[in-house]
Amino acid sequence: MKPYFERMDAFGKALKPGRKKRTVASAEALQGVEAEIAEATQAVEEAGFSTEKINQRGWMTVYQRLEYLVDEGTWHPLHTLYNPEENTKGTTNVVDGLGRIEGRWAVIIGFDNKVIAGAWLPGQSENILRATDLAARLNIPLVWLVNCSGAKLPEQEKFYANRRGAGTPFFRHAELEQAGIPVLAGIYGTNPAGGGYQSISPTVLLAHKDANMAVGGVGIVSGMAPKGGFDAAMVEDLIAKMKDFTARPPGDVSTHHDGTGFFTRVYEEETGVLDGLKEYMRAVPAYGEEFFRAAEARPPAFPPEDLYHLLPAHQKEVYDFDEVLARLVDGSERLEFRPDYGPEVFAGVCKVDGRLVGCIGNRQGYLGKDYPEYGDYPGIGGKLYRQGLIKMNEFVTLCGRDRLPIVWFQDTSGIDVGEAAERAEVLGLGQAVIYSIQQTGVPMMLVVLRKGTAAAHYVMGGPTANRHNAFTLGTAATRIEVMHGETAAVATYSRRAAKEQAAGRSLEPVIDKMNQLVEHYDQTSRPAYCAQHGFVDEVVPLPELRRYLQAFTGAAYQHPASICPRHHMLLPRMIRG
Amino acid sequence: MAEDVLAPLAGKVLSVAVSVGDTVEEDDEVLVLEAMKMETVVYAPLDGEVTALAVKVGDQVEEDDTLATING
Repeated sequence: MKPYFERMDAFGKALKPGRKKRTVASAEALQGVEAEIAEATQAVEEAGFSTEKINQRGWMTVYQRLEYLVDEGTWHPLHTLYNPEENTKGTTNVVDGLGRIEGRWAVIIGFDNKVIAGAWLPGQSENILRATDLAARLNIPLVWLVNCSGAKLPEQEKFYANRRGAGTPFFRHAELEQAGIPVLAGIYGTNPAGGGYQSISPTVLLAHKDANMAVGGVGIVSGMAPKGGFDAAMVEDLIAKMKDFTARPPGDVSTHHDGTGFFTRVYEEETGVLDGLKEYMRAVPAYGEEFFRAAEARPPAFPPEDLYHLLPAHQKEVYDFDEVLARLVDGSERLEFRPDYGPEVFAGVCKVDGRLVGCIGNRQGYLGKDYPEYGDYPGIGGKLYRQGLIKMNEFVTLCGRDRLPIVWFQDTSGIDVGEAAERAEVLGLGQAVIYSIQQTGVPMMLVVLRKGTAAAHYVMGGPTANRHNAFTLGTAATRIEVMHGETAAVATYSRRAAKEQAAGRSLEPVIDKMNQLVEHYDQTSRPAYCAQHGFVDEVVPLPELRRYLQAFTGAAYQHPASICPRHHMLLPRMIRG
Repeated sequence: MAEDVLAPLAGKVLSVAVSVGDTVEEDDEVLVLEAMKMETVVYAPLDGEVTALAVKVGDQVEEDDTLATING
């Protein structure tokens, strides 16, 4: 298929000096937000005991374990700032991301043993489920670094129970295994109760010599039947039992390696466990680098730093999406699908590291005379109209048919509204895109370049497409909200304002409430908030976006559950005619 | 060679970045139009001197109206 894929249609142009000069302030604003994110990231990484303190105890930290385990330069952290329950340490206490081990992609997750010995915390199970689901979407192994002291007992009501509570990941592990996706575990330290199930639920268990796992730890085993309270004699008895169990906690390697045989292997050194995980990763099924390459891998024709001058920090400023895409895909080349239809949407086939992906994004700016064809108003990019929705439906369906992973780029203010739009079927066509996504079997990722607003955020492969969206990235310009704060203030308070005026009362209290709502929307739609609450899985500096596209496509093509031979694909033929 | 800077769409002039007599480079910002809640920057199509400005802040313009003239 060389005629189609070796050289596609080149697009994009070099940044002009005038644009660079004009956008200095915008670039600085974006870099300022990225610096704030980097500062928050550092605080999370330094939470709990210091690295020195952990090393003095003879242990490695989770970050040191990751550094030893993951191939250099391949770590792509996710959920770094995820902390939906606002834990004081700023973390859910697991560290996860995509990385390569011995050349193979895996989802890797570990307990932060610097913080309460890797305890379960509020929000953690949702974080873990994002990692297990990511492994399922990409059909790649899940690798655990288990070091979990069990539930943080004083806050158990926030995470122990419920449908997506702390026990749900054990069911997910079973689901992964039943789907043929291995879960590998390197096990360290004391892992009682919840930690015990974190240890036993994976497929292969590799233990450090000092590790243990058990249904109950010392605190439970030495406990007693409730007597309505405690007195000094009871506590002294408790201390005596504690001392006994401190000498030999239940479920150590003599029990679970020599006895039950649950631990496949036991290693003297911490690094030995990691070497064992590497050995197992070398044995997992994975296609070679060349297997699914449609062309030689090439960098984009333009430097990634240009993105600071192409994506405006200002939410209302129009820009050229095609120029952004030209900084992200191989050779700045593409095969565009239906360029003469639905001008507000780009859809086309591109390459990332020589592998084919479908890309879909919102184009910005004025869409020309007589568009949308059903309205007597001008169409403006970022909004979705009838044609754009039909084009996305067709493209997604064909990507599913051709087994092409999809990368979505959102900067959308929503789907067109009004009577003419309703008659043009935009409501049905928006839901049709959701139906189209759901009937494909291909993994998808999303970059929310700037605005993710209204139902368009759902329709365009948003995180709500949970069975398909592998992960969602934010940028320094990201804003995710149901509508702009000012629009929300009008919708909420305009009738009240009219009533106050009719009654002859001052409008100031209503105006104050409107401005408060605008401020609230601003604060709760910003990148750091989106990351903390999981609206995005990571906020990434603009020059790093391509690395994540490379990780996504590399992982998606490592061991796909279903394949389409390139010479059987329809999309390239439909595009070229 | 004089070239007119035309309005790419109907909208309101939100800001004007140049004055008559200014020297501009190709792709410098000339003015910003607001339409449909979005701001569209209108750029200089060539290097040269601004010889005429046909609009001011707050003006409503139609598509293809002349906004400015640049003599390159």
